Amino acid sequence: MSTSPEQTYLARAFDDGRYDWARARRIRRRVVVAQVVLLTGLVAAVVAAATTDDGWPGWFFIAWTVGLLVFIPLHSVLNLGIRGVFDRSDRSLDEHQQTLRERSFLAMAWPATALHFLAWTGAVTVVATSGHVAPALCWGFLLWFAAGLTAYWHLAWTAPDEPADLC
Amino acid sequence: MGRQPRSEADKVHDRIAVLRADRGVSRKELADAVGVHPQTIGYVERGEYSPSLALALRIARFFDVPVEAVFSLDPLPSLSEELLRRTT
Repeated sequence: MSTSPEQTYLARAFDDGRYDWARARRIRRRVVVAQVVLLTGLVAAVVAAATTDDGWPGWFFIAWTVGLLVFIPLHSVLNLGIRGVFDRSDRSLDEHQQTLRERSFLAMAWPATALHFLAWTGAVTVVATSGHVAPALCWGFLLWFAAGLTAYWHLAWTAPDEPADLC
Repeated sequence: MGRQPRSEADKVHDRIAVLRADRGVSRKELADAVGVHPQTIGYVERGEYSPSLALALRIARFFDVPVEAVFSLDPLPSLSEELLRRTT
């Protein structure tokens, strides 16, 4: 039986040497900070939108769209930086990568649970206080999304720099 | 499955880099032979990851030496020192 990790298309993309620049700890940490700032900004925009009369002003629509579009390349870089260990099948990961993934899941279990709780309670509070459903859904989505990202952030922040050469 | 050492006492010392240099084997060649990513071999060599028993045994088998010749809980003496000790 082979013990080698399976080389799926996704695994090959994440292991591609052209993206070594994204795996430097400095880059990974910058992307984490950028994602946290972006999501925090969007949460602030949701709160501001909820206080308006219609709950869905034009500026919020633009901010929401731009924010989510900016998130896509940021998350791509983050995922390349951690070799996509959360998005690949177990079979394509070796024991060290599985250890890193499980360590980050465990470390972020409670913060992720707290964010899930905040997503639900915050959404209910927004509807109860403002009567607007759209910003409540946005709030819930953002915090649920952030809860799912905490393990990515933890790994990207804590993983050591990879050995420089393969010689 | 292996794990990251939590303290200096928890660290597993190894001779993989020396054996690789001696046999002229690259990290990638060793990694392919034992079924891990090349970076994992690098982490083991740097002492940042303690391999599972299965991986340690596969590495020892690759070099055709006993596992205790590759891995140790105590810092390993250099091969030249050990050779000198055995011949005197």
